[in-house]
Amino acid sequence: MSETIYLLYILSFVLGSIVGLVLSYRKYKAPFTIEKIDLLALALSIIGWSLALNSSLITFIPYYITITIGLFFLALVLGMRPGYGTKETFIGIIIALIIWIIRTVVL
Amino acid sequence: MANILLNVLIAFLVGSILFGLQRKIMARIQMRPGPPIIQHLLHTLKFFIKESSFPKTAAMPFYIAITAMLCVIWVAAVIVGPVTGGSLLLIFAIYALHKIVEHNAGSSSGSPYGKLSCVRAVFSAAAEVPLFAVLIIIYLKSGTMVISNIISYQTIHGPLLYSIPLAAAMFFVLILSKAPYSPFAITKGKDIVSGYETEHFGLLRGYLMISESIAWYMLLWVFLTVFVGGLSPLWYLAGMIVLTTITAFINATTPILNPNHSIMMQVSFAVIGIVGSIVLLLYI
Repeated sequence: MSETIYLLYILSFVLGSIVGLVLSYRKYKAPFTIEKIDLLALALSIIGWSLALNSSLITFIPYYITITIGLFFLALVLGMRPGYGTKETFIGIIIALIIWIIRTVVL
Repeated sequence: MANILLNVLIAFLVGSILFGLQRKIMARIQMRPGPPIIQHLLHTLKFFIKESSFPKTAAMPFYIAITAMLCVIWVAAVIVGPVTGGSLLLIFAIYALHKIVEHNAGSSSGSPYGKLSCVRAVFSAAAEVPLFAVLIIIYLKSGTMVISNIISYQTIHGPLLYSIPLAAAMFFVLILSKAPYSPFAITKGKDIVSGYETEHFGLLRGYLMISESIAWYMLLWVFLTVFVGGLSPLWYLAGMIVLTTITAFINATTPILNPNHSIMMQVSFAVIGIVGSIVLLLYI
């Protein structure tokens, strides 16, 4: 069972990366030069990393589904066209880690 | 059967993503944006929808069969390793077979690049097989060659990484030898285009790339299992990412060595590792 779940996670990550790559090539026609933050990518990254690292916060669905959805979202941003999505990913990781620290250490 | 399929799929996907990660890290070190992490996986899948053509000089049916053989031996490694926790001797045999397949893949194409790679595969086997013989040190220390027993040994006595560090260093050199763009990757050096893979196109190249991804996963898996112990899948993944990152740093900052120098360095590592480990076992 555990191996099936891990395969699910990997497939979710791979699919998310492929979709992210395809969509970002459609959205951005030029190689990465701008410094502006993509708000949609930022939202997806925060949701993705938060779900993946803090799956136990959501109790009404099994943890592996939460993590699978989280991995898909974070891979969407992580897998974007080279250069794009890097800042958004870092912000997503930091916010997810803050939530994790509050959940496990502070509370 | 389902367990085998699951583990093979995981090995292939994780191995491919780790190769992609390695390329990404190397690119960032060299101040390039680099390809997406899944590039290696996409590259592999791409070959399955490309036309397969066969050189006139190819030695049929060996030229085709060799790609299937490479796939089969690394699937066998997954069965021996993560699925059954079998003997390290079988993993050693699989690695020796891998070197033979590298040799034959190069020679069967009839390409001069493939032939050069084939000669280098034999040449490098002389250094890499002794490096893999590090498994004997593990036997001398733990008294067993069975992976599941080695895991049990480490649960009681702690990771072998601390008691036989030179053996771990030797095995790491072996892992480094199998990484693309590594200083020891003489069978696929860019001076001979893609080495033994140069004349394998389409589907056949796809099979070769699948096998390489599984091989990378398996080598990292063996390293983590026999030197650190039985880990949870998350720690395995973390360990594999760390090892891949280290190899990426080394590969990004080191040129591919001349074949003679590569072999001499590997042999030196093997001699220092084996002799040093035996001395450590005898006196500490």
